[in-house]
Amino acid sequence: MAECSEISMMLGAFEDSELEPNEMQEVAFHLARCESCTGILADYSTLGRNLRSFAPEPSLAGFSSAVVARVDRLPQPVLTRIERFLRRQLDSVGSGIAWGGAAAVAAIVTIILMTPLARQFATRGTQPAAIASSVSNAAVAPAQVASATAGEPTMADNDSHADISRLESENHSVAVWSEPRRDTTVIWLPDQP
Amino acid sequence: MRTPGRQDGDEAELIERSRKGDSAAFGVLVERYQRRVVGVALAVVHNQDDAIELAQETFVRAYENLSKFESRSSFSTWLYRIAANLAIDFWRREGRHVVLHGEDAENEIGKLPTSSGDSFKEVSRSELSARLKQALEELTPEHRAVILLREVEGMSYDEISDVLQCPRGTVMSRLHYARTHLRTILKDVGGN
Repeated sequence: MAECSEISMMLGAFEDSELEPNEMQEVAFHLARCESCTGILADYSTLGRNLRSFAPEPSLAGFSSAVVARVDRLPQPVLTRIERFLRRQLDSVGSGIAWGGAAAVAAIVTIILMTPLARQFATRGTQPAAIASSVSNAAVAPAQVASATAGEPTMADNDSHADISRLESENHSVAVWSEPRRDTTVIWLPDQP
Repeated sequence: MRTPGRQDGDEAELIERSRKGDSAAFGVLVERYQRRVVGVALAVVHNQDDAIELAQETFVRAYENLSKFESRSSFSTWLYRIAANLAIDFWRREGRHVVLHGEDAENEIGKLPTSSGDSFKEVSRSELSARLKQALEELTPEHRAVILLREVEGMSYDEISDVLQCPRGTVMSRLHYARTHLRTILKDVGGN
């Protein structure tokens, strides 16, 4: 059987269950036969209970906010400040890119949607111009008439696409028609007596 | 009570946010560990005002040194270690006690009278509380720390060894000395 001096060194650890299994067994065997060591173990147990029972419970109200306030007042290390500055810049650049991208997409969509409409408006706008051009051609026709030969009406008669657009004269002996393929207005005058 | 070891995801995220300067995230960690950090400081200095002041200092130091904290170890043990170091330094600056190590401590144990039986049953509660407080103050901060970290904070020997940065065997011998000392003093009160 182990000596009390040897076992007493292990009693605290036995109470705390911090011994190796074989040591736990050895102390348990000793305690079964030793009143003195059993008394010491009981004292340790009571001591532990009393320490827990009388342990002060400091009030921690406002503790964490006081710590956070102290932390907020700390001067930031240079590296940390640089890191935070870069992060802020990165964040703002990131949001700038996002806004720019959104604007670009909106512009592209607008262009895609508006182009057919614009074409349509452009087409409508050019039609009056085309008519004006046609009238203009008619206006220059007399100059061409001046150079027209007497045989030309025959040619016009043979051209199935000839289109008499309008009569320029009340005199029925004079015919005026346009020949779109050649972009020409023809004025036919009968042979003068 | 949280066990030491790796942090859960929530804690790792709070630590990472604190590292980036998020003091609100650090506030959550303070709330989580404040009671035990104060307990560790109190175990050493045995004065509530000093313990609270030291605990605040512990968290501020931890915040300043978060970049040095390695996530592989336990954040709580790291905190308690800072608290214990600050408290022991504080106590030594006060210069009120002589710290005993190794054989010196063993010799002191040998000088203590031995007794048997339940020594505390006859002592009134208020007298016992006062005597216990006084007996704890008579211990060195190292001996008081181990007994209070074990009995009040419920730490294992390995945890105490981690926090106080001393071998497990030293934890056991300090505990033995502290228990023998307290038991003897309290027995004297009971015998009067």
